[in-house]
Amino acid sequence: MSAEAHGGHAHVEDTGFVPDRYVLAKFADSDALLEGTRKVREAGHEGLDTHTPYPIHGLEAALGLGKPLIPRIVLGGAIAGAFIAYSMIVFMNVIDWPINIGNRPPHSPPANIPITFELAVLLAGTSSFFGFFTLARLPKPYHPVFQSEAFRAASVDGFFLSIKVPAGQSPDRAAAEARAQGAVHVEIIEELER
Amino acid sequence: MSCDDNKEARDKDRKVRRSLPIVTAEASVKAPPRYWRSVAERDAAKSIALAAVNEFAPGADELPEGSVSRRGFMQLMGVSTALATVGAACSKPRDKIVPFVRRPEETVPGNPLHFATAFSLDGYASGIVVTSHEGRPTKVEGNPDHPSSLGATTPYEQALILGLYDNDRLKEIRTNGEGTSWRGFLMATKARAEALSANGGKGLRFLVEPSSSPLLGELRRRVLARFPAAKFVAYGSTASDGVDEGPKLAYGQPLVARPHLDKAQVILSLDADFLGDGPEMQRLSREFSSRRDPGPDMSRLYVVEPSLTATGSMADHRLRLRGGDVASFAAALAAELGGRSGLQALGPLSALPKGASGDPKWLKAVANDLEKNRGRCVVVAGRRQPPAVHALVAAINAALGNVGTAVTYVLAGVDGASGAKALGGLVEDVAAGGVDTLVITASNPVYGAPVDFKLEPLLRRVPNTIYLGMYQDETAAACKTVIPAAHPLESWGDARAVDGSTSIVQPLIAPLWGGITEAQVLAAFLGEGDVTPHELVRRFWLGQRMGGQVAAFDGAWEKWLSDGILPDTAAQPVTVPEVNAQALATAISPLLAAAGAKTDGLEIAYVAEKLHDGRFANNAWLLELPHTITKLTWDNAAMMSDATAKAQGVETGDVVALQLRDRSVEGTVLVVPGHVDEAVTVALGYGRAGDAESVGRGVGFNANAIRVSDAFWFDRGLKLSRTGDTHKLAITEEQWTMSPDGRTTPPPAVDATLADILKEGSEFNEELAERRGPLATIHTPVDYAKPDADGKVPYKWGMSIDLNKCTGCNACVVACQSENNIPVVGAENVRKGRHMQWIRIDRYFTGPIDDPEMITQPLGCQQCETAPCEYVCPVNATSHSDEGLNEMVYNRCIGTRYCSNNCPYKARRFNFLNYTADYSASQHMMMNPDVTVRTRGIMEKCTYCVQRIERKRIETRVAGTDIKDGELQTACQQGCPARAIEFGSLNDPNAKVTKLHADGRRYDLLHEIGTRPRTAYLARVRNLNPELATTTKSESGEAEKAGG
Amino acid sequence: MSAAPVAPVSRDPLEPAVLIEGAQTDASLNESLLNHVWRGAGEGWKKLFGVALAALGLLVVAISYTLYKGIGSWGNNIPVGWAFGIINFVWWIGIGHAGTLISAILLLLQQKWRTSINRFAEAMTLFAVMCALLFPLLHTGRPWFAAYWLMPYPSVQGIWPQFKSPLTWDVFAVSTYFTISLLFWFLGLVPDLAALRDSSKSKTKRMIYGLFAMGWRGSGRHWAEYKWAYLLLAGLSTPLVLSVHTIVSFDFAVSVLPGWHTTIFPPYFVAGAVFSGFAMVATWMIPARQYLGLKHVVTVKHMENMCKVMLATGMMVSYGYIMEHFIAWYSGNPYEAGQFFKVRWFGPMAPVFWTMFFCNVVTPHIFWFKKARTNMGVIWVASILINVGMWCERFNIVVTSLHRDFIPSSWHNYGPTWVDITLFIGTIGLFSTLFLLFLKFVPAVAITEVKELRHELEHAEHARGAEAH
Repeated sequence: MSAEAHGGHAHVEDTGFVPDRYVLAKFADSDALLEGTRKVREAGHEGLDTHTPYPIHGLEAALGLGKPLIPRIVLGGAIAGAFIAYSMIVFMNVIDWPINIGNRPPHSPPANIPITFELAVLLAGTSSFFGFFTLARLPKPYHPVFQSEAFRAASVDGFFLSIKVPAGQSPDRAAAEARAQGAVHVEIIEELER
Repeated sequence: MSCDDNKEARDKDRKVRRSLPIVTAEASVKAPPRYWRSVAERDAAKSIALAAVNEFAPGADELPEGSVSRRGFMQLMGVSTALATVGAACSKPRDKIVPFVRRPEETVPGNPLHFATAFSLDGYASGIVVTSHEGRPTKVEGNPDHPSSLGATTPYEQALILGLYDNDRLKEIRTNGEGTSWRGFLMATKARAEALSANGGKGLRFLVEPSSSPLLGELRRRVLARFPAAKFVAYGSTASDGVDEGPKLAYGQPLVARPHLDKAQVILSLDADFLGDGPEMQRLSREFSSRRDPGPDMSRLYVVEPSLTATGSMADHRLRLRGGDVASFAAALAAELGGRSGLQALGPLSALPKGASGDPKWLKAVANDLEKNRGRCVVVAGRRQPPAVHALVAAINAALGNVGTAVTYVLAGVDGASGAKALGGLVEDVAAGGVDTLVITASNPVYGAPVDFKLEPLLRRVPNTIYLGMYQDETAAACKTVIPAAHPLESWGDARAVDGSTSIVQPLIAPLWGGITEAQVLAAFLGEGDVTPHELVRRFWLGQRMGGQVAAFDGAWEKWLSDGILPDTAAQPVTVPEVNAQALATAISPLLAAAGAKTDGLEIAYVAEKLHDGRFANNAWLLELPHTITKLTWDNAAMMSDATAKAQGVETGDVVALQLRDRSVEGTVLVVPGHVDEAVTVALGYGRAGDAESVGRGVGFNANAIRVSDAFWFDRGLKLSRTGDTHKLAITEEQWTMSPDGRTTPPPAVDATLADILKEGSEFNEELAERRGPLATIHTPVDYAKPDADGKVPYKWGMSIDLNKCTGCNACVVACQSENNIPVVGAENVRKGRHMQWIRIDRYFTGPIDDPEMITQPLGCQQCETAPCEYVCPVNATSHSDEGLNEMVYNRCIGTRYCSNNCPYKARRFNFLNYTADYSASQHMMMNPDVTVRTRGIMEKCTYCVQRIERKRIETRVAGTDIKDGELQTACQQGCPARAIEFGSLNDPNAKVTKLHADGRRYDLLHEIGTRPRTAYLARVRNLNPELATTTKSESGEAEKAGG
Repeated sequence: MSAAPVAPVSRDPLEPAVLIEGAQTDASLNESLLNHVWRGAGEGWKKLFGVALAALGLLVVAISYTLYKGIGSWGNNIPVGWAFGIINFVWWIGIGHAGTLISAILLLLQQKWRTSINRFAEAMTLFAVMCALLFPLLHTGRPWFAAYWLMPYPSVQGIWPQFKSPLTWDVFAVSTYFTISLLFWFLGLVPDLAALRDSSKSKTKRMIYGLFAMGWRGSGRHWAEYKWAYLLLAGLSTPLVLSVHTIVSFDFAVSVLPGWHTTIFPPYFVAGAVFSGFAMVATWMIPARQYLGLKHVVTVKHMENMCKVMLATGMMVSYGYIMEHFIAWYSGNPYEAGQFFKVRWFGPMAPVFWTMFFCNVVTPHIFWFKKARTNMGVIWVASILINVGMWCERFNIVVTSLHRDFIPSSWHNYGPTWVDITLFIGTIGLFSTLFLLFLKFVPAVAITEVKELRHELEHAEHARGAEAH
């Protein structure tokens, strides 16, 4: 499909549905993508994202992302795990129902270390996993970029830049920008449903 | 001495025991119910009786409806209680529970009653007290007031309970395979009796148990009065002509020798296993152990025997001698002593050959020791030895002046010999065809008779054979009429102990399957078959004691029953005449000739052990009981020494054909340390073929198949030939070295010489001191002596086991099994190492394999204070009580078996399979309701009989007192004849157990790993004769695995 | 696509040997590595799968019989309360560990050669742990209670688990280990699933893989967090894997039993785990690379490295054995001395000990020779020997120690029953079944990471090329 085909949007008033529109630009290789992304961003475009089959060194910078949140989430998980574990053991074996087990002291810290550690790891690990999917807003089976046939290469050997066009603006400017920055193929995608 | 221990406890015990209420209460009713054991039944009987009097026609052969349903009710009650117990435990009840609708004033549901009665074996009785829960006998204990029992039991008595509820027992009277009734039998007998009496009972024979029961004696006299030509023949395949006739040979009258080991400084046993076998085993064990405390009074035991026995294992010096050679040893001893001054009485015997006695040095030393201790030593001859040896022993004892002190003689209660000779007469009569009616009340003679009598085919030739037996066994198969015998716990009757003390035998429960007593059968021939056995015994004693005055009688009768013994029935020792030594010399000579005679082949010796003569062959508790010496369960075996096995080219597990005089039987070889060479010992009672004996059938092999009448206990010329097959024996404890690395580990069971023990700071005492007392620990141990909130010092349960007293008789093992509802697992699972007995008796050999010393060590849960089993349980299923008990929570256990792995004593037992699944309804009645019945996948172990502790606690709380020392006994402690086990609170400074914990011989098992066990052991002491002492300290760990 | 076949051969600058053979592009890698998924199930696969299923059937039989008859259907007894059940548990867990180790530790150590085998190893971990998890449950007397009484939940009995017991630690350790391994494996798999989705020909396949790909679109913003999430999971897995086998070893070390009560167990168990794990990877990888056409990514170099690891860990294990015996002698504890110098060497179970000795102590030393390290046949046989040896080691520790401990009277020998053996074979069946399914439906090699590796290598080539001019 071409950008022209999507020139006006007469039907907007009827349904109240304002489709997001994206400019999807394919670059020759990772270096080109990096270069292009940086330039496009510096040209003042917002809502940039890249789509690559594997992480490319320097993309964070090119996209201008901040520090990742995951490490902090994981640290929180670990601390919570350790705390829950130890307090659970103390509550169950010392406070709630202390039982004389072979005349060992009810509260014997060395015996509590393994479980404390294991639960710390468990919660840290799970928070890392689920933390990521939450941050990434995944699972999300449908995303407008999937409408593009070409995009199927994104997980194989294609390097893409997608620009979310602000509502009410024409995508042409962003598309032109992308082309100017060396995209080998550019198309404009309009979201079908949400 | 120690026979009067625990007076208090005994009095209390007696108070608790109940008598049977007065019978004449029913005089108004036409006929009292045949058997009853509680007021409930009596009342029920009365009401029903009054409701339907005509049901009780005199001589009613069937039980009246009411009483049937009542019996049924009692059973149902039992089952439901058992199931309730089960339900309360781990598996779901499978049946509706019936509430106890009519509560008799005596019974408080949940509180057991105790009844005194007696159990006879080989004709002599031992008093027992039976615990009964809601009408179900559940446990047998000894009767402290009974002279033969002294409160202790043998494994046989403990196992009675299992036999009582055995579902394989005969359940109906059958004639020629047709079911009939007691009345039917009486009719037939009446007719037959009349026919017989016509010719004075010619052709009427009775083959009976050897018995000393006054009632039976009376009935036999009356039967003979009616049938003058009839004959009574007593036969027991374990009977001893020696015991019966030896004293007669010496003194000319039927006497029984009664050793008094508490008065003996020196004891010489000639093939006598008096600590493991025999009618007075409990008394002798008690007396023996009373003189074994280290000190000047410690007695010394010499044993001469072919195969190691409990007695032999306790010996200070032991001489291995073939059974047939014991006679020549006795002769040599007599000769040795005869030559000495002051022993002229034996003069004529001094001519006897001194040579053939094995070890002259040994003989001399013994002779010296005996001579030194004149008047306070005793020589005892065993049941297997012939009359001449017993006579010789009598002579020696007399000459040494022991008669009246260390040995006394009383008139024999059993009249006449009951061995092969007696049976021989009957066999001839039958063969001659002179026998028309043969009544058999002896225990399975077809199985037990010497093979050369060919009894089975002969029996089939007798027109009328009547067999009173418990099982459909070999004899039942050969007899026309078979009558289910009442179990001892179902019977009315009476019995005498060796010393004459007489007890009334009272039933604990109505016969479960309509059992009949011997008295009834005899009465049937007197036309009194319809008289209840209760009436029989009552009438008899009424006549005996009170000249028929009922009024005075009842009170006495009740007291007899509750005491379990009749006052002043104990016979007075008879003063014996001079022994005619000359006569003995001639009597012994043929034996010496036989012993001297050169025979090729081995000697075979028969022994009656776990199954006795085979009457216990269907008793799984006894079958699975590890034998004292061999630790063999289920099977019997051809036991022989290592040297003999090597010479014969066989080894443990080989199946061999034992060929004796053109007969042969196949058995499995078992090498036993300490067995005499060139001899084989075989246990009787195995290899049963009874159709209905589902447990014992086909277990082991039948030694009677080669046993002949003229060589009843020993025979020569046995040949072994390998069949090529092998059979894996189910042995619970192989013969390992004493310590895992063969050298340096402290031996689990310690023994020392008297010298070492008495010497202050001897190397031995030093070593032992390192095996007790507190160990360094990083955390402060719990203080179990700390008074609780209201200043009361808690109990601190502890146990002590004196290895110097334990003879390994196994009474504790079966007592525990009965008390704690411990299942049997079967031979296959024993082979796999899954036997369940909570207390096991470890036995260790030390020294050379051919002639080792042996120690037995009872080992249950040690109740460690810092129990290694507890902290590894993931679900808190085993934990510690504040009285220091290591508790097992069955219904919490998930069966990881980690606790067992981490138990250094391996005292825990696991239900690998659902062993209790296929219990019959009757077996459910056997269960002790105070103890959970465990299901599959659960760990269990010794609890120090916590149920007994709690019951006592409740009693004392109600009474507002504390549990006093001796008031509370664990099952193993109560069963122990030797008083080797003591139990009590270690916080009580005066408790026996506390004192023993402070004893110089005390040590803790595996003390070095810091488990702080609550069970302490006291080292075994050997009182060596300096003349024979070779080593001052027996070094352990030499007996490397020998076969097994 | 100017940058496509830059180098004829991509090399790791640090490692001279070949990591990815042939001139590969992202596309070609994608093609070749997914090939075995798109290709229909081959004859060989079907045959193997049949066998595996049969073995799995045995597992079902053995488990049902055990539950029906009770633990008595096994050979266990008193004193040998633990036997095959625990041996197999420890053995499988150990095997599992190599997977985590390869994917996690090598990742942290930035070992480039890991990428080709880590997916494979992780899958192995998961399946091994599944097999292992069966045993702690089955070996209890009453599994139907064990299943939940071990969990700290407020029960009607009001009673809690006993946290001093190593078995309770096991519950937490193993379940944590399984969970983390699963998450780690799946997280790594997501981009590849996306690749599968996008290169799948049929709509249904696309739907299914799309479902599991969770809508992954290679977003740079995602990658930014993803890299951290993955790295941290790896970072967590590393101490986790060490702790898990340490705790497993506590089951023994914490007891009082001679032969169990040993402080060296934790490190020596972990070394043993890696040892057996790598052996297992090799055992499976050699046929897999052969028949799945992965030779160009799983090169001889990889196999050689694995051999080196086996050699190293093998020697650590040997050191463990030596120290056990040294301490037994040096401590002067007679029970321990008896256990090691009498029972293990000459006792009834001695053959197992000497088998272990040969397999674990002698065998690995063949890997000193490059000829052996590069000969697949040799490696395969050696790896199997090592697996056998490690099984024997566990047998030695569990059964041999138990069957003769402190008090000779309670000593008793042990023999397994058909159920024991069937159960063990059954778990191998379960493992194989799962593994074959994995090979059939999921890329056996982490495509994304291989591409990334190729990309990095390519850049390195560029750099070198630049310097050259």
